Amino acid sequence: MNPKLAHLLVLMYPRPWRERYGAEFEALLQTGRGGLRASANVVWSAIHEHVFPTPGFEANQYPTSVVALTKKPSAFLPLAMSFTALAVLGIAASLGDLVRQPDEGVTAHLWQILIGGQIPVLIFFAVKWVRRAPKQTLYVLAFQAAAAISAMAPVYFLHL
Amino acid sequence: MRSTRNVVRAEQDERLGHYSDPPMLVLASLANGPKHGHAMIEDIVRLCGTRLGPGTLYGAIARLEQQGWIKPLPAEDRRQPYRITAEGIRVLRAKLTTLRQFTKTGLERLEAL
Repeated sequence: MNPKLAHLLVLMYPRPWRERYGAEFEALLQTGRGGLRASANVVWSAIHEHVFPTPGFEANQYPTSVVALTKKPSAFLPLAMSFTALAVLGIAASLGDLVRQPDEGVTAHLWQILIGGQIPVLIFFAVKWVRRAPKQTLYVLAFQAAAAISAMAPVYFLHL
Repeated sequence: MRSTRNVVRAEQDERLGHYSDPPMLVLASLANGPKHGHAMIEDIVRLCGTRLGPGTLYGAIARLEQQGWIKPLPAEDRRQPYRITAEGIRVLRAKLTTLRQFTKTGLERLEAL
C-alpha cells in the first residue's frame, strides 16, 4: 500500500490505540496488499474502534459538559452543516433567488447535500456518545435537531 | 461440453464454509509458533481460506493482547511478532474442543437427513 495512504488510514484510529499499535500497523499496511478492499476494511475497523474501543484503550476522560461534547467534530459538524444550509437560503433570499423552480438549481442541491450529508455524522455521534455521556449527548442531539429544523423550516413554510 | 455447474457449486460451498472468528483464527495461527501480522494473514488463508483484512486482524490482536491471550515479542525491524500465552492456549483448546463436539454432532445430524 502507498505509504502516505497507510499513514492517513492509521490516523483514523483513536489516539490511545495509535500510540500502542500505530507504528506496527502502518508497517503491516505498507507491506501488505493495498486496494480498495483493504482500505475499506481499515476505515471500517477504525470507526469500530471509535465506537467500541478495545478495553484499555478508551479515552481517559469523557466530556462532562455539553460545551465540551459540542467541540467534538461529530457534534460540531452537523450543527455547522445546518447553519451553512440556513446561510445558503439566506444568501439566495438576499439575491432574490429564493423561489420555487421546476428545475432545482445550485441552491437547492447545496441545501440537500448539507442536510442529507449530516445524517451519517449524526448517527455516528449518537452511537459513539450516547452510552458514554448520555445526558450531554441528548442535549447536543436536541441542538442538532433544532438546527436542522431551523434550516428546513424556510423550505417548508415558503413551499420551496 | 463439460458442465461447470459442479465447479461453481464447489466454489459456493467453499465460500459458505468460510470460518470467520478473527480472535480464534489468530490464536490458532499462533499455536504453531510466533508470527507477525503479515505471516498471520497468510497462515490463516492456508488454515481455512479466510483472508482477514488488516483492520480486522489488528482489532483481534489488540483485544487478544488486552485479555492476556497473546504477547508481543521484541520487534524485528518494523514487524511486530506475537506469541500465544499459556492462558491463550487454554482458551484455544477449550474453544476447539467445543467446536469439535459441535461439528461432530452437527455432521451426524446432517448424515441422518
